[in-house]
Amino acid sequence: MRIELKRVTKIHASRGRKVHAVDGVDLVIEPGELLVLLGPSGCGKSTLLEILAGLESPTSGTILFDGEIAADAEKKLFTGPKERGVAMVFQSYALYPHLTVAENIGFPLRVAGAREPALGEAVREAASAVQIENLLTARPSELSGGQRQRVAIARALVRKPSLFLMDEPLSNLDARLRLATRAKIKALQRNLGVTTVYVTHDQQEAMALGDRVAILNQGRIEQLGTPAEIFDNPATAFAARFAGHPPMNLLRVEAQENAEGPGWQGPVLALPGTTWFVPGRPPRGSTALLGIRPEHVSFVPAHTPGAIPAKVAASEKFGRDQLVHVEIGEITLSALVTGQAPAIGDSVGLILNPNRMKIYPDDGEVG
Amino acid sequence: MIKPARYWRKEEWQIGLLTALGAAFLLLFCLLPFAYMLAVAWAENHDFLSPQVDFRWTFANFREIAVPELHVPAYLANSLGIAGATALGATVFAGLAAFALTRLRVKGGRGILLAALALSMFPPISIAGYLFRMMAELGWINTYPALILPYIAWILPLCLWFLAGFFQGIPRELDKAAWVDGCTPWQLLRHILLPLARPGLLSAALLAFIFAYNEFLFALLLTVDAHSRTLPVGIAMFQGLHGEVPWGSLMAASVLAVLPVVLLALVFQKQIVGGLTRGAVKG
Repeated sequence: MRIELKRVTKIHASRGRKVHAVDGVDLVIEPGELLVLLGPSGCGKSTLLEILAGLESPTSGTILFDGEIAADAEKKLFTGPKERGVAMVFQSYALYPHLTVAENIGFPLRVAGAREPALGEAVREAASAVQIENLLTARPSELSGGQRQRVAIARALVRKPSLFLMDEPLSNLDARLRLATRAKIKALQRNLGVTTVYVTHDQQEAMALGDRVAILNQGRIEQLGTPAEIFDNPATAFAARFAGHPPMNLLRVEAQENAEGPGWQGPVLALPGTTWFVPGRPPRGSTALLGIRPEHVSFVPAHTPGAIPAKVAASEKFGRDQLVHVEIGEITLSALVTGQAPAIGDSVGLILNPNRMKIYPDDGEVG
Repeated sequence: MIKPARYWRKEEWQIGLLTALGAAFLLLFCLLPFAYMLAVAWAENHDFLSPQVDFRWTFANFREIAVPELHVPAYLANSLGIAGATALGATVFAGLAAFALTRLRVKGGRGILLAALALSMFPPISIAGYLFRMMAELGWINTYPALILPYIAWILPLCLWFLAGFFQGIPRELDKAAWVDGCTPWQLLRHILLPLARPGLLSAALLAFIFAYNEFLFALLLTVDAHSRTLPVGIAMFQGLHGEVPWGSLMAASVLAVLPVVLLALVFQKQIVGGLTRGAVKG
């Protein structure tokens, strides 16, 4: 199922003001791909998912499912989830508490008019795909979180949907179960080949699961690409904050016309409070954000020429690696070190890999 | 400072005693009138509390009220019929309204609920006169509809608020899941919402039944004879042999009147408690 969204917008009226939950989104979802919608709370990803599901109608724009109009705000056309062949797994699973697992899974088919024995067959098939055949007579209240989630997935799959939507399905699971289930979901999607849209605010999940990731901010897509593309080349500071763990450092640099450096003339971007600069102009305004990943920051002795003087403030150990937080006056920065790391309180010099620096327009947020 | 163990045991013992005393007082306060009613119903002389009179056991009071001139069976039938119809009507209307107000996006839905609440605060006697005139003009005095319709109207706001709160306790995501699963609004109501709301609907029905069953003022004004007179009014009209109050017959009839409601409460007690508490806590 190939899905096209053209200039889709959803406006809510909230306390007298108009809120653009989704703002002019253009998106093509390729058949069989797992697309992740990534963003912080309130960025519009859940609303976009509901619009795809047919639970909400767009205020303006068009949605096409395999070339057929699923929703067109101008022509006032709208089809519901059933006609679109959409299935959805909710964050809280939304299992019907008064029905058994088997009745829950079979519910979409029963509503559509299916009866035994075809109904039972389909239920058993869906249940075995997620390995819950032994729980068919239980009620949702008797199940663990992981089991309930599998029931929700089975219920979604039993109709053999053309579009599979998942709204933060892993966020209610504990960390260990989350990782295991993540892998299973990826494998399941690969096997079934069903077009899937997955919503999450966890960037590790997004990078691990998605064939492509769309980063959403205030109803707009900031960047769309494969996880590798987003990691190597975040398009904006917002995207940079989302890609990669530990997150990219974003330092505010100021434009200066002439540098006070040996033999350099011309506009530069300088780190406030230091003599360090990098040639260039800010893309917009008089300040910019310099992005550098912690793994591209190295330590050298304190007064090495060309290095930024800093002081080690804190340190976090992750097994073999260590994330060292340093302070340059009021500015903080993290560096990822493998093996030996400077101690807290040490004065050090920082070298930022010039090939890995990225300059972004200043969006006003702290880096 | 950590208090010594002996002190804590003493406090617990005191708390236990106070709790027991409070419970005993509450039980006595509620049950003593019933106990007295039962005693008088089976007593030969209702004055058995005074030292000159003994308590003698007899069924005579019950035999007295069974006479056809007193119309007690008719009153009972009227009460049950009217209360039953009120419960059914109130639950159906309030249930549908609560579903619409909480599930379908109704403009001014909140206003409707508040207006219902405001209207329910009117004292019944304030419209009694107009109600009588209206019923007289319709020719409905002394009929079932004369009581059933005002009762439904009167208890509807309470049932509506109760059921709206109950429906709100059913998570909206279930609606979305059902819609994605292909339900029409009617299918949603039938397969998902009604089964989940059953305890609340039962409690609302019982509420309406008990209200209608006990109601006195409208029943007194709008009924004339045993054709539609209800039990509370019927009992109040019992006359003694020489104009004194026939306590024995009154209490015997009251025992009879109380019986259906007590039975209903016993049969549905689990649902009542479940319905009352479930609406309050999010699931």
